[in-house]
Amino acid sequence: MRGHGSVTELPQAAAADHLCWVHDDDDDAAFGSAVRAFLAGGLDRGERLLCVGERAISALDGAEGRLGDVDGLRAAGVLETMTVAEAYAATGALAVDRQRAFYAAATQRARADGYRGLRVVAEVTELAADPGTVDELVRWEHAADEFIASGSGMSAMCAYRGDLAAATLGDALAAHPTTHAPDHLSPWRLFFDEHGLALAGSVDTFTADRLAALLAGTPTGERAVLDLGDLEFVDVAGCRVLAGWAASLRARGVSLEIRGASRLMQRVWHVLGLDELAPVAFTGARG
Amino acid sequence: MTTPATITPSSAGFEHEALFYRDDETFLAGLLPFVREGLARGEDVLVAEPADRAAVLREGLGADAAAVRWLDMGAVGANPARIIGLWADALDAAGAAGRRLRGVGEPAWPGRHEAEFAECRLHELLLNTAFDGGPPWQLLCPYDQARLPRAVRTGALQSHPVVSTPEHRRPSTAFHREAAAAAFGTALHQPADGVLRGNYGPDDVQATRRTVVSFARSVGLTTEQGQLLELAASELLANSLAHGGGSGTVSLWATKDAAVVEFRDEGRIPDPLVGRLAPRPDAPGGHGLYAVNQLCDLVQVRSSAEGTTVRITTWR
Repeated sequence: MRGHGSVTELPQAAAADHLCWVHDDDDDAAFGSAVRAFLAGGLDRGERLLCVGERAISALDGAEGRLGDVDGLRAAGVLETMTVAEAYAATGALAVDRQRAFYAAATQRARADGYRGLRVVAEVTELAADPGTVDELVRWEHAADEFIASGSGMSAMCAYRGDLAAATLGDALAAHPTTHAPDHLSPWRLFFDEHGLALAGSVDTFTADRLAALLAGTPTGERAVLDLGDLEFVDVAGCRVLAGWAASLRARGVSLEIRGASRLMQRVWHVLGLDELAPVAFTGARG
Repeated sequence: MTTPATITPSSAGFEHEALFYRDDETFLAGLLPFVREGLARGEDVLVAEPADRAAVLREGLGADAAAVRWLDMGAVGANPARIIGLWADALDAAGAAGRRLRGVGEPAWPGRHEAEFAECRLHELLLNTAFDGGPPWQLLCPYDQARLPRAVRTGALQSHPVVSTPEHRRPSTAFHREAAAAAFGTALHQPADGVLRGNYGPDDVQATRRTVVSFARSVGLTTEQGQLLELAASELLANSLAHGGGSGTVSLWATKDAAVVEFRDEGRIPDPLVGRLAPRPDAPGGHGLYAVNQLCDLVQVRSSAEGTTVRITTWR
């Protein structure tokens, strides 16, 4: 399974990074050095860099860090910067499909130009703070994770300011495999790996609606695979969300395989008659 | 002796009768005519007996045993709160097939724990609550007169409108329709000492879950038992926080053969059948306690104006 979890330090840059970084607006130094280090890791890997959002762009010029000559990188076409409006609103209202097309094109251009991929830092607090865009932004984060995990060559650090509403931060964090949010609990993470979706952490009735909302926008093919091998806990409400998702997939002709579910979860599934809502193939059960 | 016709006219609704037996002979003398009459009338006959009793009855029935549906009461009735759901399903299935249901159920077999006997008594009382006023069917509940404690036998007289032996059949003078609600509202006996107690509020769900898991480990429960208790704790906490005034008390203690986790809050559950009947898969609520009842060894729910208590016992 793809690496996941909450981190205190920036991890070593790797393929398919998708990191949610919640930062304190007062703590310029720590956020700035995380932005520069994330991008410098991309330079080492031979990736093109894209920095989106004034708050992230202003961090580029910080002294500390290994990014080096920012103006030179810009001039050489290695580093591009954009405002949020340019990256997210240039083609009209924020929409998952348009965002995907935008980043897919940018990643393809980078590869066509000889780079190994595209590494993005995006400070999207203004989209998250806007009631008109926050829901689509979270859907996009989930869809972006699929694009990143698919071997496209894209990696991203998505930065959010820590004074956003706790529910908004919770929604954003849950859509990333890796999170840095010292003051915000992120009990579970829904992300993609090479086989399909993975759900890790602890899901209960208090966060089940968030899971249902994310799953409603999950891109799938004709078969969906959900890996629960790193799911530490799921309650009845969580099981019912998964069963409801299975039923909606079935209505679209998509079958669901659930891998690595605990024996207890399967017993819950059975006693609640959830198999009657939609058939699910349980494989690779664990104790 | 009173004739059956003066007690309850046939097809008058739910007929709930306790059969007192002394030995295999009187057990069979009471049950064989009851089962065979049901088969002769083309009724759905379902027998829920512990394995040793079922073996005696099967042998007594001979070839007729094949026409009976058998359930192992030792498994399905381990937690008595599961049994009403089974009868409800059987009643639905019989009704859908245009037949009447006739059942034999022996939840209170000799040798059960005291707490299980308490739940058997509440279960027998609540059968009347669940099925009175519904479609007509008959349920005969054997009680081992020779080996059961006196309190259990007295309880059967209180929970069954009709009591019988192979020789006699009479209305029970101890039966009161209000006894079910009273029993549901009567507080559980509290242990004197050795209890770990803590209060919880909306922000303590994860911490309380962790406490329950480490308690399970400390009293020697298996990992699987600990996982189940964690799930049960999560469901009961969620219910308690949603309906119980937003806070409550969790108590943890061990007995010589069990680990006990109990949640108390100031809410009141009006329906004493709570958690006993399977919610439809798409129903908005009621799944948590139902699942806990299905999965845990013993679940005891009591609720009154004083508050609600849910106690989960795990045998070790």
